[in-house]
Amino acid sequence: MAFIKKQTAHVESEDQDIRGLERDFIGLVAELDSDDSSVRRWAVRDLMPMPESSQPLVKRLTRENDASVRAAILNALAHLGDSVAVAGLVDCLRSEDAALRNEAIDVLKEVPHAVEPIIGGLLTDEDSDVRIFAVNILESLRHKNVEQWLIGVIEKDTHVNVCSTALDLLTEVGTEQSIPALNLLKNRFSDEPYICFSVDLALKRIANGSD
Amino acid sequence: MKHILVIDDAATVRLYHRNILEGAGYQVDEAINGIEALEKVLVQPYDLFIVDVNMPKLDGYGFLREFRSQKDVLQSPAIMVSTESGTNDRTLGYVAGANLYLTKPVKPNELLSYVRLLIGDLA
Amino acid sequence: MPAITISEDDFLKFKEYFYRKTGMLFENSKRYFVDKRLIERIEETKSDNFRNYFNMLRFEVSGNELQNLVNSMTVNETYFFREEYQFKCLVDSILSEITKKKTDDSPIRIWSVPSSSGEEPYSIAIYLLEYWADIDKWDVEIMSSDIDTNIILQAKRGFYSPRSVQHLPTKILAKYFRREAEGYQICEDLRQAVEFSRVNIMDPVQVRPFRNVDVIFCRNLLIYFDDTSRRQAAEMFFDSINKGGFVCLGHSESMSRISSLFRVRKFPEAIVYQKPWEA
Repeated sequence: MAFIKKQTAHVESEDQDIRGLERDFIGLVAELDSDDSSVRRWAVRDLMPMPESSQPLVKRLTRENDASVRAAILNALAHLGDSVAVAGLVDCLRSEDAALRNEAIDVLKEVPHAVEPIIGGLLTDEDSDVRIFAVNILESLRHKNVEQWLIGVIEKDTHVNVCSTALDLLTEVGTEQSIPALNLLKNRFSDEPYICFSVDLALKRIANGSD
Repeated sequence: MKHILVIDDAATVRLYHRNILEGAGYQVDEAINGIEALEKVLVQPYDLFIVDVNMPKLDGYGFLREFRSQKDVLQSPAIMVSTESGTNDRTLGYVAGANLYLTKPVKPNELLSYVRLLIGDLA
Repeated sequence: MPAITISEDDFLKFKEYFYRKTGMLFENSKRYFVDKRLIERIEETKSDNFRNYFNMLRFEVSGNELQNLVNSMTVNETYFFREEYQFKCLVDSILSEITKKKTDDSPIRIWSVPSSSGEEPYSIAIYLLEYWADIDKWDVEIMSSDIDTNIILQAKRGFYSPRSVQHLPTKILAKYFRREAEGYQICEDLRQAVEFSRVNIMDPVQVRPFRNVDVIFCRNLLIYFDDTSRRQAAEMFFDSINKGGFVCLGHSESMSRISSLFRVRKFPEAIVYQKPWEA
């Protein structure tokens, strides 16, 4: 029969060879600039448990163009979750690169405590695209203030697409508290069929929810 | 019946487009992001795609690039619909393989006229 | 206390949310099934009504209730040749692509996780022996891991109920199993063919020995994980498999809810996910 078994310990020694021997902080940071993307990715993976890694990882992120290394960096930054890491993730929202923006949004959704202190600023950023991405972060954020933040957006934001994005989420999380702001929004954008459609949907879902 | 795939992470946007297109007699399927869209287009052909730009896991540009590289899949036209109206975004959309680039929010008549332009009526 | 009801709008709202999180889409014809499960969970969690329950589901920091709900909405049972089309895909499409690109005669490594009570890794072994023409040309290493030590012992023992083997063709059952009073004992050759190990796939140190894998079967596991754990598991798999290697998920799971690291590949038998060659 052609089935074989190998002891995992043997594999581990091979693994050591691939990853190099200098696995201390300075060695790993140096490897972030390697020409080999798998070396860079391993450096990121091994830096993840080290609390002082945020700075070098954020620095690498802006220059990194390999998707798998980038994914590992974003994952590590979300795991580290300190102010440098979160600031690095937020900077991605201003990137011209759609893939990077969306990956950053995805990981920011998963760190409600890190997002809480900065979301207010993002929701009132002067760039409407950043405001839209801030609303996108709220999409899966497990935080009790989500509805209030969304109400704040549809009450005040003048950009139709920022309001539309918030509105989409309110069809899911909206309660009676949202009703006045929803009606107000429909008045503000009464000539926008999409806004009218979504407000009606949100109001219907709120009214017809079972008690 | 002409079959259209609406790709957008926002449930309300998908429903809005679905209502408009089904109201005009088209058949509509949905996907929540570029990866789910690829899973669908590799299994069955569509006549048209309505593609959002910003979506998790795989965005609209990424979807179109991957889709346009699939040689044995029916290469139907795609309308990219984005919140971003910059020239750069538009160029990126066309380079990725969009046939048309519209800025959100899209009005029902506007959408339908472009859909008819690209794939004709229902027959 | 009034009976708990789920309104039409509640159902639609829930349906959209559940689809976004899991990729599972309930048609309206499933309404009765969904309502019944929802009401069970509402009662179980003492949430009183759908509104409170949905609020908890959506905002609870731990995300535990979503996992409980996924559990109650899916049938989590294991048996030989479950989702057989993927094994067919393995022998008819995936393996030929892997062997074509191999530059040496190192073994093909297949990792089945979670092993559960062993039905999946043994099914893979049987499928290779029965249906893969090249089995004599290549060495194959089948590894299988689970977090639960007891279930691994059960898998190693290889004793199965009639229900567990009911989808096996009679010929195969007779060839690889011995009938006993209470069920079926898998043959010694197959027991020796699979290397079982206890691994928590969320622990990088434990996953580290699993390298240069060609195919990972991870079916009906990630759907029970939260977003972060799913993504991290995908990162681990990415590190474990060779360039051009494949990940097979369960039939109700999709990489579209997990990670962007892999490419979607369609074979005649199934959709699977591939680590890019250029990665």
